[in-house]
Amino acid sequence: MTQGSTEKRLRAAGFAAIGVCLLLVPAIFPDFLVYQFSIVLTYAIAILGLNLLMGFNGQISVAQGVFFAVGAYTTAIFMTRYSVNFLATLPIAVATSALLGLLVGIPALRWQGLPLAFITFGLAVLVPPLALKLESITKGATGISMTKPSPPSWFPGNQDTFLYLLCLAGVVLCVLIAFRLLRGDTGRALRATRDNGLIAESLGVNLAAVRLAAFTTSAGFAGFGGGLFAVINAYVSPESFQMTKSFDFLVGSIVGGITSISGALIGALFIVFLPDWSADMNIALSGLIYGGAMVLMMLVARDGVVGLLSSLTVKLRGALAASAARKTGPGNETIPDRPPERQFQT
Amino acid sequence: MQLFVQQIVEGLASGAIYASLALALVLIYRATRIVNFAQGEMATLSVYFAWQLNQWGVPFALSLIIVAAISFVMGALVFRLMIRPVLGASDHTMVVICIGFFIGFEAIALWFWGADPRAFPRLFPDAVWTIGGVRLSANNLGILATLCVLTAGLSALFRFTRIGLAMRASAAEREKSPLVGIPVETMLMLGWGLAATVGFVAAALIAPALFLSPPMMVSVVIYALAAATLGGWDSPTGSIVGGLVVGVAESLCATFVGFIGTDLKVGVPFALMAVILLLRPQGLFGTTAVIRV
Repeated sequence: MTQGSTEKRLRAAGFAAIGVCLLLVPAIFPDFLVYQFSIVLTYAIAILGLNLLMGFNGQISVAQGVFFAVGAYTTAIFMTRYSVNFLATLPIAVATSALLGLLVGIPALRWQGLPLAFITFGLAVLVPPLALKLESITKGATGISMTKPSPPSWFPGNQDTFLYLLCLAGVVLCVLIAFRLLRGDTGRALRATRDNGLIAESLGVNLAAVRLAAFTTSAGFAGFGGGLFAVINAYVSPESFQMTKSFDFLVGSIVGGITSISGALIGALFIVFLPDWSADMNIALSGLIYGGAMVLMMLVARDGVVGLLSSLTVKLRGALAASAARKTGPGNETIPDRPPERQFQT
Repeated sequence: MQLFVQQIVEGLASGAIYASLALALVLIYRATRIVNFAQGEMATLSVYFAWQLNQWGVPFALSLIIVAAISFVMGALVFRLMIRPVLGASDHTMVVICIGFFIGFEAIALWFWGADPRAFPRLFPDAVWTIGGVRLSANNLGILATLCVLTAGLSALFRFTRIGLAMRASAAEREKSPLVGIPVETMLMLGWGLAATVGFVAAALIAPALFLSPPMMVSVVIYALAAATLGGWDSPTGSIVGGLVVGVAESLCATFVGFIGTDLKVGVPFALMAVILLLRPQGLFGTTAVIRV
């Protein structure tokens, strides 16, 4: 019985619990909230992509909202102009965003670190006016309206429930992909590239390929989330994809925990429900909390909420184990999964 | 031809503003290796202070001087309270913190003054002279003169004063400077304060044209980033040249390239930045960092 397998079982149990909670949402909450939870799920997919890129591969990107917008517009355009079935538009949305990610990712190989932050920041500022300007494609400020797909006749619930479960299926798919990517050699190559490119390269990791793949995948995730968003929202306009959307995703990623998968969901919940709740008091409050949370997280909890929780459980279990048997000696540590600065626990 | 020269003049004037903000960014970068994305938002907040003082009946010139001092304190405090604890952390952490400032400072301005744009008085008189068909406004000349004074003041500070020397030393050798008795952290704090003041000057110059609103400086920051990247992040001269180039390029493209127009002006600095990063990542005047492995 190694510590690793206990940990694995705990994690699996955690994910199962989250899954059950998510499945119960349509049964518990009224339709409007179910709709909002669907939005949360689409955001969670985009944030998960950002975590893969930023948390696990160490590339800074402030432009996740751009890829999200591209996915949403692709779905909207294919649904309205070419009357493609909404499910069939999703792969197209993923492909378009991923392609754009590839196009940005290639020069980004030369822009690692701060320059990549400038470029993605610029992209986040530039794209909303561009969407307004390309009226022939995006219909400018009017936006594109679609009809919400109705559930098939065998489906027992209503439309909102159907769309929610659709998004949930999307999240499950993405989480599985993320797990697969983070396991084994792919995962090690991703993390090694982040932690020390030089050593990774000398061990045979193709840095350019790994970084490019990470950028493309992350953009593809955002495109998928964006496509789903367009479907459930049934309307896209530049208004929904301001620069702040990119910042929102960044906030969600940081708050939830940049090197975690479940953190993406927590982050998405945070960026959907906090502005709603705080707007009653002051429209500036959510911005203030966002900004404060970003700075505070970096000062005290770099792994976000999930990091805080897991270090708490580790401490708790450590205390329990110590009081029970105090037999944990040296040489029993797990292999660090994250940069060492956060790894020292009592 | 007249239009062409006219646009160059206009471009130089806005370029001088971008150059000032870029100068602030470079000051901070040289001192602490941080790119402060939030410089523009901090500056916007300062301009709101000046506007508010002016509303309360403080004479305009006096309010500018008071706020320049407030900005200095604000920059120094931001460094002391929120940057110093994580000094030396990864670029990644710093970008996140600065974006946090960006969102936070904009929210503070929104909280107190709302989203409605407000008129901010011009710093210079309205006189206009016409020379050979090209209009030269006192405002544009004043902006250029301000940049010159700012540059001369900063280079004098860094070159001829003891404190300037200490600041340069702290920026260049953070570990070794304490050995000769330089209080490095105080110097870095002064650097942040100074940058905030320079940023305030830039924002006060551009506020009459853009109208004062919380997101006023969002796109201006892109211009400043492009200017600093073009000039090279470790070169103040470079940031000034870069700012002027970006300003002129923007003005010419907006007038003569139909698709860009006024809506997509922000694409110009973006494109310049992308090109320079591909061709000469260290910028025109920058030096390549040599890393021993």
